[in-house]
Amino acid sequence: MNLIVTTVEQGLIYGILALGVYITYKILDFPDLTVDGSFPLGAAVTAALIVRGVNPYLTLLISFGAGVLAGVCTGLIHVKCKVRDLLSGIIMMTALWTINLRIAGTANVPIFGEESIFDNDNMNGIFHGTLASYKVCVIVLVIAVIAKIVLDLYLKTKSGFLLRAVGDNEHLVTSLAKDQGNIKILGLAIANGLVALAGCIFCQEQRVFEISSGTGAIVIGLASVIIGTSLFKGLTFMKATTAVLIGAIIYKACVAAALKFFEPQDMKLITAVLFLVILIVGMERKKKVKGNA
Amino acid sequence: MLELRGITKYYNPGTVNEMCLFQDFNLTVRKGEFVSVVGSNGSGKTSMLNILCGSIPVDSGRILMDGEDITRMKEYMRNRRIGRVYQNTALGTCPSMTILENMSLADNKGKFYGLGRGIHKGRKEHYRELLRQLNLGLEDKMDVKVGTLSGGQRQAIALLMSTMTPIDFLILDEHTAALDPKTAEIIMELTDRIVKEKRLTTIMVTHNLRYAVEYGNRMLMMHQGKCILDRAGKEKEETTVDMILNLFNEISIECGN
Amino acid sequence: MNKKMVAVLVSAMMTMGLLTGCKSSDSQSGDAEYTIGISQFAEHGSLDNCREGFIEGLKEEGIEEGENLKIEYKNAAADQGTAKQISDTFVSDKVDLICGIATPSAQAAFNSAMNSDIPVIYTAVTDPAEAKLVDDEGNPVGEITGTSDELPIKEQLEMIREILPDAKKVGILYTTSEANSVSALSTYKKLAGDYDLEIVEKGVTQTADISLAAEELLGEVDCLTNLTDNTVVNSLATILDKANAQKIPVFGSEIEQVKLGCLAAEGLDYIKLGKQTGKMAAQVLKGEKKASEIKYETISEPGLYVNTKAAENLGITIDESLVSQAVESFDEISAS
Repeated sequence: MNLIVTTVEQGLIYGILALGVYITYKILDFPDLTVDGSFPLGAAVTAALIVRGVNPYLTLLISFGAGVLAGVCTGLIHVKCKVRDLLSGIIMMTALWTINLRIAGTANVPIFGEESIFDNDNMNGIFHGTLASYKVCVIVLVIAVIAKIVLDLYLKTKSGFLLRAVGDNEHLVTSLAKDQGNIKILGLAIANGLVALAGCIFCQEQRVFEISSGTGAIVIGLASVIIGTSLFKGLTFMKATTAVLIGAIIYKACVAAALKFFEPQDMKLITAVLFLVILIVGMERKKKVKGNA
Repeated sequence: MLELRGITKYYNPGTVNEMCLFQDFNLTVRKGEFVSVVGSNGSGKTSMLNILCGSIPVDSGRILMDGEDITRMKEYMRNRRIGRVYQNTALGTCPSMTILENMSLADNKGKFYGLGRGIHKGRKEHYRELLRQLNLGLEDKMDVKVGTLSGGQRQAIALLMSTMTPIDFLILDEHTAALDPKTAEIIMELTDRIVKEKRLTTIMVTHNLRYAVEYGNRMLMMHQGKCILDRAGKEKEETTVDMILNLFNEISIECGN
Repeated sequence: MNKKMVAVLVSAMMTMGLLTGCKSSDSQSGDAEYTIGISQFAEHGSLDNCREGFIEGLKEEGIEEGENLKIEYKNAAADQGTAKQISDTFVSDKVDLICGIATPSAQAAFNSAMNSDIPVIYTAVTDPAEAKLVDDEGNPVGEITGTSDELPIKEQLEMIREILPDAKKVGILYTTSEANSVSALSTYKKLAGDYDLEIVEKGVTQTADISLAAEELLGEVDCLTNLTDNTVVNSLATILDKANAQKIPVFGSEIEQVKLGCLAAEGLDYIKLGKQTGKMAAQVLKGEKKASEIKYETISEPGLYVNTKAAENLGITIDESLVSQAVESFDEISAS
């Protein structure tokens, strides 16, 4: 039972990251590798703030803001300097490695014993006795669901429509007298904000910032998005964002299962195979409008 | 009024593939004109539209919109007053969004895209009415994703979308070329109606000589980056498909085809 | 349609696997008297030695694998999230003790076990204070204790002075993202002056940087000394190659490095360290002491290791008296 709770916890944390990846990969059609840097960015900011006694709930907002900045930088590199999408992400990811180290001070910042969004008088008051083991899970669930609902609502606003349009058909956005570059930057900002938010929660759940925590974050995000959207493609009543969150939980369950049955060093290969299977099974390549007028 | 003054454009300058497209090209389209443009492939018709709209830069020359120099203006800025429909039926709509969402998106052109609701409920009946006029049965499919519609249906919606908001210029780039004859006919009639209703200054590039002759009040024929025929008003009305066809043949012989 | 079926099947199988997975291990853990979960952060020679020593140490105290002990060993493949998942699994399997090898695994184990009564024993944590596993007075912060692989830096500097009486500058190559290296480096800098030595540091961020950094560093120094930096140690062969070409001696930080061709080391024997840790774990398992009552330990006595073959190659003679002090002296260079 405990293991399932842990899996859901981890799944939901990475689910928030996957919501960000969903924006870039599915909506914007932009393979954004910034994620490997913005996830630990959220964690670094959080660790640095919590060690200095900042309210842990405030770190959620500040981390989101830090992620937004990172996304804007990637966007500016891509749009204004005309660097290819993949490379812009790689440049920013590389830069963030140093920035994260500077923000956190060292490569490993433990925050045991400090107040966190999970560990404070209020939360410990609400969750005690048998409920205590579900504390983290419930808090993460609440944050993930809020993030999902806000994102859903946003995608239904005028600005959200434009965001969806830019990944679908850049020409249309230009026809609507809007600069598609700015819209892309906006999308990258929101996406990396979510990713950093996930990093913030991850750091507080792990009670430690570790510079290497971002390695492979993009793979987890992509896998979650692809698993979620492929598996639940037929279910029209289910929103893509919900599917993505569930996808992340399924991915983490697979990792847990792999940990049980296989040697840990085989994990990456298993991940890769799983990834490939889902991709082939799902085989839904984005039909993007291309071509010149 | 749209003006192209002394436009020069080379493709691949400085390479062995250098190709001169326009050399001191001039064109003035007056307010309220509906210009149909014909010409063989590679004659520069679509490039001319791209230059007007800002999709491609010019090497020298000026582009004026109602007297204002827009040569350096970004494409998206020019589009505030320009509506454009492409040959590729996919370019005018968003496939993953519904008809209603697409129309709402287009309806907001020129206004701020903020955090207000994307779909204006009060406008829904208006959209339905616009769709009903198409006679394609789309008014009952407003929640269907545009990507699942046929090319003709998409093009009709694209045409509606590009002319929904107050614009002054309409650029049509072979917008019936990818459609079957019957749908092309419907779209062409719709185009004519909208242009007349909204009094749009229009430039239409087409390969269909009959459309070029039947519609519009001015006609251009382009060849190797030059206008070799320019007829307006009465002169245009007297032009027949055969005359144009003959002219085409002459050019082809000249070129050695 | 078919593809969808496959997808659903795959995910169903995974989920089933997960569920049955927890069950089977629950039933197994009942057989032995003790169950220990070992969570090792990465695949790494020194860490493997720690684990080996740990199991041996337990055995010396009468807790033997296969007899009265069941060991569940998991490796996080250098991923922090996985480390946490591993220790969470151990907690939900209700093991009797978790052994965390290397800092991130130790921290994850402590984090997972925080709300249970499962004690955590760690090893190969260079700075337990920095890792917040002990408080400012050096006492455990919970049911957690273990051993530190803090380098015997003082002894190392003393040895360098003795072997190379004329050396002035000592180069250190380290990875900027490894907290252990950064803290060891600052200790080196603090102590070097006492031995009239100057530390020249060169930070790298990844394996790819090492060749260049080593080349650059070798131009400025009289010798190199290693930390237990993972990235650097993994590229030791490259560094030794370059150093040997310029006849610059390289000092190691543990026995394995000396085997590979480092001149000498006043260093750790991770097997010994593991053994020491195993004995601590035995105390806790037998209920003699609680983990929170045991202070963390460092290796009682560093050992001197020398490689006479390396010395010969470099044209350096190590004083006979020093060689005789060595715990072990190698007269060949083993291929890695």
